[in-house]
Amino acid sequence: MNTESRKKALHYFYEKVVGPLGFKFTPDAELREFLLEQEVILEGKHGVPFCPCQPLRHDRARDMQIVCPCIPFHRKHFDAIQRCWCGLFVHQDVTDPDKLPQLPPKEVGLE
Amino acid sequence: MKKVSMYTLSTCPWCRKTKKFFADHKVPFDYIDYDLADEATQRRIMQELDAAGASGFPFVKIADEVIVGYQPERYASALGLQGGDE
Amino acid sequence: MSDKYIRAISADAVAPGGMKAVELDGKEIVVCNCGGKYYAVQRRCGHMNAPLDMGTLDGMYLTCAMHCAQFDVATGEALSGPVPPDFGGETPPRLLGEYFQNVGMLMGRIRTESIRTYPTKLEAGWVLVAPQAGD
Repeated sequence: MNTESRKKALHYFYEKVVGPLGFKFTPDAELREFLLEQEVILEGKHGVPFCPCQPLRHDRARDMQIVCPCIPFHRKHFDAIQRCWCGLFVHQDVTDPDKLPQLPPKEVGLE
Repeated sequence: MKKVSMYTLSTCPWCRKTKKFFADHKVPFDYIDYDLADEATQRRIMQELDAAGASGFPFVKIADEVIVGYQPERYASALGLQGGDE
Repeated sequence: MSDKYIRAISADAVAPGGMKAVELDGKEIVVCNCGGKYYAVQRRCGHMNAPLDMGTLDGMYLTCAMHCAQFDVATGEALSGPVPPDFGGETPPRLLGEYFQNVGMLMGRIRTESIRTYPTKLEAGWVLVAPQAGD
């Protein structure tokens, strides 16, 4: 299967989901392309596009929480850091994604 | 020098940046790519993360300090290095 | 390979975002309406031959109802293969559980081929398809 075609399709589906959640694709094109490519590889391997930056636990219920876009399962955390963990998505008003550090929930007053 | 070890994912660009940070600063480190490890190792790693109250990668240990997420400034400060930016 | 176009279905009979299966010249074909543009693809999923007209059409992307393989209806390209089945939180009876696991394992190993597309034309409120000119 063609990686570029699959990336385009994922982009189409994801856009519709993350918009209403207040997010958009990161303006960092290089990061976006790399992460989407990793997701296509993961989808090829596991049948489902998992987040490239979170671990698979081989427990269906928990692994479903890192299927991209995983924003709904980590809403408070991602809203607090204005990005999702891998950075594929950022808040809609973000113009400089490099300024958003990758902080775990404990460091933004959660959990 | 403080011992540096980390758990990372081969598919994650932030984990790559983390490794690069330590390599660029000539700090030796051990790492295990969780996704490429066998099941027993994966279970052990997740137990360690759960015990530390963490669930994210990169998971970096500098001596006794645990840092989750790509945080070059904190790596620099934990190592007593000048300047944290990549 | 003739390029002969046949009236497949009235354009009004396929709503935007909708699909209808037709049989033309002995071939089972699905007509898709993607925002007013009509496409025609083979009815059989490139994975395990499920009827694609029973799937969902979103934009240009058709998802098969059986195992969720996805296709681009303009090019016929297979974009993704089957999604591993989920049996919910309950444990099925042992033999049944083993059966499902076995089928799931086999199903995952079957390659998803791209699907045939057929040229279409819109003429006087009819969708025309050339069933012998499929890729």
